[in-house]
Amino acid sequence: MKKILLILAVSYLPFKALAADAESQARSWNLTGEEKARFSAKVVDILCEVSGKCAEKCGAGSYQLGLLTEGGKLIPVNKNGQTSFNGAVSDLLPLCGKTVEVDGLLVGEEVPAKLYQIQLIKQEGQDWAKANRHTKDWKEKFPDVDGKGPWFRRDPRVLSILEKDGYLGLGEEADKKFIEENY
Amino acid sequence: MKFLAIALALVGFTLSGLTAQAASEPMRVTVTGEIMDTWCYYSGVMGGPDAVVGSAHHTCAVWCAAGGIPIGLLTEEGEVYLVLEIEGEGTAGGSDTVLDIQSDKLTADALLYERDGFKYLVVEKVVANAGITNLSHDDFGVVPGFAIPESVTGG
Repeated sequence: MKKILLILAVSYLPFKALAADAESQARSWNLTGEEKARFSAKVVDILCEVSGKCAEKCGAGSYQLGLLTEGGKLIPVNKNGQTSFNGAVSDLLPLCGKTVEVDGLLVGEEVPAKLYQIQLIKQEGQDWAKANRHTKDWKEKFPDVDGKGPWFRRDPRVLSILEKDGYLGLGEEADKKFIEENY
Repeated sequence: MKFLAIALALVGFTLSGLTAQAASEPMRVTVTGEIMDTWCYYSGVMGGPDAVVGSAHHTCAVWCAAGGIPIGLLTEEGEVYLVLEIEGEGTAGGSDTVLDIQSDKLTADALLYERDGFKYLVVEKVVANAGITNLSHDDFGVVPGFAIPESVTGG
């Protein structure tokens, strides 16, 4: 009986590593299926992890990154801790291949298919740091963009697409009709 | 001994769902669905799933794709695939290609990898692009409500 209990306990360990974590300092965002989760994981290029096709420098910002837990579970990271449409690649790319501690929210309804929003990262021997690099990286990527307001209102890639297709993506006439009827 | 066998079976079942799976052979698939913003869809941050797809959410989908948030392909059956690569290009960099297909209904020849509950697509070829077919703004307006700036609406 002791052996059975031991085996069952061992089988539970990988799950426990991702269960709602009392030590987590993550802020609630009141999201669907939200669970606070602090755990240790290796930062990986998801495509490399699932297919063996590995780009140089973890894709150098072009490929989605994820977290490989100590229990071997691969978790996609969808979002950093900033509030305005910022992904997490800027925060994770410098750490790709390293094992770090992360703190944030598992999000989504279906278990085990939950995504992760990373809010804090701790490298070995360093203090916890906020996962908020995206906007800084964006400014470095587009140093000539002037004006005030959030990055997504000024991003030249975004402005180009919206100018071509409109806010609804259906063209200028559809936008004009929608605005006339709703504003 | 029976107890031990049952316990081992339980362990095997549990581990199959929770632990490492090595890089695997993909399945070649042809899938049709809308290219969408996975963060808003999964998190509910801007409302229910029907409000964060299609024309209502187009501008936000472009913002999220530019921000490097993973894009998905949502089928009519409600299956979500996380799209890692399109025709040799990664999807995290906010490229013009990735931004240009937001909210569009695509048919794609792809390699499918499954891991820990998620389905990942490597799109080798976009076979067809029907454009935006989900006119969700008829039901939801724009989501979020500030998608169209006041300088444009006159508000």
